[in-house]
Amino acid sequence: MNILFLLVPVALLLAAVGVWGFLWAVRDGQFDDVQTPALRILLDEEPPPPDPEHTP
Amino acid sequence: MEIAPVHPPVATPPACTHCGLPLPTLPAETGPHFCCAGCEVVYETLHASGYADTFYRLRAMTPTPALPAPSPVDGLSRSILDDARFVAQHTTADADGTRRTVLYLEGVHCAACVWLVERLPFECEGVLEARLDLPRARLALHWDPDRITLSGVAAWLSRVGYSAHPLTVAAGRTAAERRLLIKLGVCWAIAGNVMLLAFAFYAGLDFTRDAALTSAARWLSLGLSIPAVCYGGSAFFRRAFESLRHALRTRSARHLHMDTPIALGLLVGFSHSAWATIQGRGEVWFDSITILIAALLTARWLQLRSRRLAGDATERLLSLIPPMARRKKPTGTVETVRSDTLNPGDTIHVSSGEVIPADGRVCSGRSSVNNAVLTGESRPEPVEPGSRVAAGATNLTAPLTVRVEAVGDATQVGRLLSWVRDAAVGRAPVVMLADRLAGYFVAGVLTLGVVTLGLWLNRAPGQAAQHVVALLVITCPCALGMATPLSMAMATGRAAHAGTFVKTGAALELLSRVDTVVLDKTGTVTKGALRLLEHTGDPGALRMAAALETQSNHPLAAAFLQSFPATDAASPGAFASIPGKGLRGRVAGHRVVVGSPAWVRGQATVVPSECAEAVDRALRLGHTPVAVAVDGCFRAVAAFGDEIREDAFESLRALHASGKTIYLLSGDHPDIVRAVARRLGIRADRAMGGATPEEKLAFIEAQQAAGHTVAMVGDGVNDAAALQAASVGIAVEGGSTASRVTADVFLTRHGLAPVLELFAGADRVMQVIRGMLAFSLLYNVAGAAAAMAGMVSPLVAAVAMPVSSLVVVFLAVTRRSFPFPPARRRLPLSPPSRETPAPFPAPPPQPGIVPL
Repeated sequence: MNILFLLVPVALLLAAVGVWGFLWAVRDGQFDDVQTPALRILLDEEPPPPDPEHTP
Repeated sequence: MEIAPVHPPVATPPACTHCGLPLPTLPAETGPHFCCAGCEVVYETLHASGYADTFYRLRAMTPTPALPAPSPVDGLSRSILDDARFVAQHTTADADGTRRTVLYLEGVHCAACVWLVERLPFECEGVLEARLDLPRARLALHWDPDRITLSGVAAWLSRVGYSAHPLTVAAGRTAAERRLLIKLGVCWAIAGNVMLLAFAFYAGLDFTRDAALTSAARWLSLGLSIPAVCYGGSAFFRRAFESLRHALRTRSARHLHMDTPIALGLLVGFSHSAWATIQGRGEVWFDSITILIAALLTARWLQLRSRRLAGDATERLLSLIPPMARRKKPTGTVETVRSDTLNPGDTIHVSSGEVIPADGRVCSGRSSVNNAVLTGESRPEPVEPGSRVAAGATNLTAPLTVRVEAVGDATQVGRLLSWVRDAAVGRAPVVMLADRLAGYFVAGVLTLGVVTLGLWLNRAPGQAAQHVVALLVITCPCALGMATPLSMAMATGRAAHAGTFVKTGAALELLSRVDTVVLDKTGTVTKGALRLLEHTGDPGALRMAAALETQSNHPLAAAFLQSFPATDAASPGAFASIPGKGLRGRVAGHRVVVGSPAWVRGQATVVPSECAEAVDRALRLGHTPVAVAVDGCFRAVAAFGDEIREDAFESLRALHASGKTIYLLSGDHPDIVRAVARRLGIRADRAMGGATPEEKLAFIEAQQAAGHTVAMVGDGVNDAAALQAASVGIAVEGGSTASRVTADVFLTRHGLAPVLELFAGADRVMQVIRGMLAFSLLYNVAGAAAAMAGMVSPLVAAVAMPVSSLVVVFLAVTRRSFPFPPARRRLPLSPPSRETPAPFPAPPPQPGIVPL
């Protein structure tokens, strides 16, 4: 079971990476608005970029 | 009491093609028709740019939450967006010279708005990115200041119907929310890892099997728990300490807060476990403690987040005073300055359509102003040199020059707003149901602890301490502490989507205790506008009278002309207006007299009996009769009145049935108020007319002093003070903007049905909370019994505590306090105030009223 002395710190390290990612996401404002992104997926078609050669 | 959700009025009038609001007049032809010029312009702009198809298709897909009507914004207010100091304070620069900022965007409510607003980079050269946060109406903008100005962006947005406001109120709430979220994430991460380590103990790891591993796992758990307790649990300890100090000072356990037993359990559990770790023997409870902290923080975060909508709406209202002003220099030139740099004595220029930035007196110019922000009165008020004007009012017709008398917080609006800011911190907290239990709870737990100690000292002294700790940990009121915040969070969030904005959880709890409801008449029970109710006699005579009414600016004249369009013109010479009596003049050769029946009767010879009856009937019903005599003959009577809302009868009956005492309070003439009360079934001694704002306030305070919990429902015209003094102030739609800021609850739907829904919803919330509290107490009693019997081990605690919390979460989510809004509810029924005023010159004073 001595492998646990290695595995547990590794697991904690992974958890720390997760927490760090979470901190970044919160500070970046990723959780400030959780409703609009769900609507944004409906807005599929991007209008074509203005193309001066083909406009009459 | 079960209340059916309120549906829109049965007979739906044809709707505006763009915004879907009912049309003020029936359309003459088929095809697109609009409620106002603004909607028509937006509709055509969308078609011209080829966005119309997608916009209207997307809009049909998403439900529309009911949001407060936007406030007007003009070109001058937009110019602050280019002000150097504003740019420096409120925007951030990227490395390549581009800038970012966040603006409030009014008028956004659906997926189509997201789509349209996020077209910005394709429409405005220089905008790099535009992201809209729909629920909070915030637009995050990234632009290149060399290619476009912020006011240029705002101008494009206003062309498609959205008005951009600078985000003047500091982002303090967002920061607090983020801090709590970070705390929450860290605590759950710790709790998860401590729980993983604890699984080894549950599986049988102990000192007899592998001393080194056991000791390492315990020390690691201790190390992980320290930040959870000190950082995550700090708020509980701080509040518990404060409430203990308060309880000691007042020598009463009634002031103990729910956080006290929580902090007690955490502290005892943690110190015992830490001591056990250091000693190398005894039980450790780190897993239960960390999970407890994380669960309680989750409930609080949800509660904080649910108040967002109401908080955002209030903050938006706080940006009432325009940020920019045009100051006249002594040389005569006009410069644009920030409103906060104005001084009393300065002369400012206010163009028509702009909002007045400071309180002052008009020096030159004649115009009319709209004071709806302060008084809710949307009828234009004429001003001339010498008249006082207030900050927040909109100048309507002609340019004005104003000498400034007060600026910023010294203005009427500013005083009100600074008062709201102070009240938010200084207000005495309402003792919530759960907190009232806390004192008994602590006493109960401590007694049981002593009993346990005594019991086990007799039987097995070595185990006594361990069982007392087990008792304190298992009775730590996790579910009890989560019940209130969770239910309140669910309820306020749901209510906000239905157009009911509850600002505090305390208001919900107070609502369920309300036994006295004070209703304002005009605008709340009635529609707030005079209109023709019936007429008797010769319609031709009424049309002749209308020709005279065109000359008058009396509010009754406007209502008269609404029903009887004038066909002839009055001869200019013979016209006379007798104040308080009526009008006299010549129309098409006939001598016409129109006015109060008593006065007209004195000028006429014959009074037909049906006309006399009509006058009596009108007076009896509390209407205002207007009589017409032509060539000395009494010819016709028209009765005008403020119509009672259709839903008022049903709603008042329901309110009455729920055992509440209802009072009707109004500044109107006592006869009119009594008549309305009679029709609504309110006892005559509970209807008070002619009440001044001070009397209204005194009445509320007297009721409260008599031990009643009073809810005041009003539109803020003349009752802002009463709204504030009442235990719960409820501002209804159509009132002053200021009243929405001061009230505890504000509604964006008309009539009394939403008020009824609010009461019913609050009752259901409290019912859910009481159920949860009963369950949690039961759980704690069972836990305490098990602990006293010595049956609680760390494993039992670690299973029992999350299970009880999950039950509470399940109850909170599944029990519906407020009905879900229908899939597609329209915006408030009144056109947003940025558009043209309502067709009625609402709400005109009636004869004999105490002046507004």
